Amino acid sequence: MERVLSAEASSAAYPAPLRTGEAPGQAAEGRRPWRSVVGRQGKAEAPEKLALRGIVKSFPHRRGRLVALEEINLSVREGEFICLVGPSGCGKSTLLRLIAGLEKPDAGEISINGQAVDGPGAERAMVFQENALFPWLTVLGNVEFGLAMQGMGKRVRRARAMEYLAMVHLAPFAHHYVHELSGGMRQLAAIARALAVNPAVLLMDEPFASLDAQIREMLNAELLRLWAETGKTVLFVTHSVQEAVRLADRVVVMTYRPGRIRAIIELDLPRPREEGDPGVVRTRLAIGRHLREEVTRALQEERNHAGRT
Amino acid sequence: MPAVLRKAAFFAILLLFWQGACSLQFCPDYLLPAPWQVVASLAQGWREGTLLYGLLISLKRMGIGFGLAVLLGGALGLLVGRSGPLAQAGRSLLMGLQSFPSICWFPFAIILLGLQEGAIIFVAVMGAVFSAAIATRDGIGNLPRNLTGAALTLGARGWRLYTAVKLPAALPGIITGLKQSWSFTWRSLMGGELLFGNLGLGHLLMQARDLGDMPRVLGVMLTILLVGMIIEQGLFARLERAVQRRWGLESN
Ligand SMILES: Nc1ncnc2c1ncn2[C@@H]1O[C@H](COP(=O)(O)OP(=O)(O)OP(=O)(O)O)[C@@H](O)[C@H]1O
Ligand SMILES: [Mg+2]
Repeated sequence: MERVLSAEASSAAYPAPLRTGEAPGQAAEGRRPWRSVVGRQGKAEAPEKLALRGIVKSFPHRRGRLVALEEINLSVREGEFICLVGPSGCGKSTLLRLIAGLEKPDAGEISINGQAVDGPGAERAMVFQENALFPWLTVLGNVEFGLAMQGMGKRVRRARAMEYLAMVHLAPFAHHYVHELSGGMRQLAAIARALAVNPAVLLMDEPFASLDAQIREMLNAELLRLWAETGKTVLFVTHSVQEAVRLADRVVVMTYRPGRIRAIIELDLPRPREEGDPGVVRTRLAIGRHLREEVTRALQEERNHAGRT
Repeated sequence: MPAVLRKAAFFAILLLFWQGACSLQFCPDYLLPAPWQVVASLAQGWREGTLLYGLLISLKRMGIGFGLAVLLGGALGLLVGRSGPLAQAGRSLLMGLQSFPSICWFPFAIILLGLQEGAIIFVAVMGAVFSAAIATRDGIGNLPRNLTGAALTLGARGWRLYTAVKLPAALPGIITGLKQSWSFTWRSLMGGELLFGNLGLGHLLMQARDLGDMPRVLGVMLTILLVGMIIEQGLFARLERAVQRRWGLESN
């Protein structure tokens, strides 16, 4: 039961040197502050919420096809907070769009609560980096939108939307238009809008990437509070290792072209997590190492590619 | 100097040049009437009621023609905005038809609808329907991917995706396109009225020509110009700005 730094999925094709250090139970004990995770209260026993099995996705590219994702297997438990990290272009957004049902996989199956996903739906609401709020509606109108699509009556949905706005402390801005809000408030509004439809899984694609570090830190804390309050299962894409370590129960590191799961790191660290905490620092370094290797590989690949064409 | 004054000064200078050319008597005044003669002729037309009547007739045709063009063009734009080979073929046909001179539809319309009101409105509609369709399809085709993605994951489906998200999201672009469609309708209508004068400003213009009445010709031309400017700059530009402000697209 000591699966700690393991690539749950298809790791067969990694360059050997990257693998050896990670084989379960091989590295020194002291380097693994996150190891005793399996005992994390409740989480390990929680039922499976989201399952990805053998997901493959490719896109047309030049005269051939670009394999964006290959053999992605992942099982997410109810109430879990998963962070996805990986080099730019490794397929993180694609994976989220697949789960959301906005794209169809070439092969493999995605299921929520054991039910196969087919097409988009409100049980998998998504929060994007930007440009996803409706500018012609007020903040309240935006949060009401999903409820209106469910056919909820005006009075009920207004009350419900106000509850969620209050939850993200945006009630005073209910009647403002989107462009009158700061970047951080916009993202909070987008989160309230997604939570209002009570999704089974909340998908977040770099929701705070365009905000400055202070705001981002505040919103991370805010998100953790919302997560604790609502008990949602969250898939969160980020480029920031720091952010991932602040938020996640498990961090999934992806490889570059084809996108696979390189490693899954479980974090058994109490929240809120202090930047300087030794466990936090060690985890950050470990994830950083994985990521750096992948980014280097990605850069090399890109360079080789540019050299050839 | 405020913008209004600057504009007024510009037009005053134009008038001065015009008056100057007349005073120097390059050519007789039945070929180049002075500004006051044109104004007098306009005033007379106004008193007789012919000018106002012609104006109202033309505006009514415009309203009907433009309204139909927007409705049909919008629907057509939505159709060819879909994916698939048929829609793609539809798009290239649209592009072709947009550059087809709308007045060339006139003979077709006359045989189809008879030499009457319907034929003129038909030509006006044809002047704008394709550009309205292209504006709609471009507006909807160029939406940020995340916007429709968000709508879909919030449960928007089918026609509601169009009415509740895609159309409003594309509205700023569509209005800019419709501004152009409007001027196409105006041109086509005037062409139709000139060819087959049955009331309207174009007909007044032809009447004035038959009488060899240059002040009246210029007066009606001026009226047509002014109506175009007022509707385009007074109405559409204002609407465009209001929508952009609401959508948060203002540059400042
Ligand atoms: N619709 C598409 N058509 C063609 N190629 C695509 C499409 N969407 C994604 N790709 C390609 O798939 C790969 C993965 O893209 P994706 O956007 O998922 O990466 P990402 O990990 O989210 O990157 P980033 O960190 O920059 O957001 C990229 O190489 C991209 O060019
Ligand atoms: Mg991305």
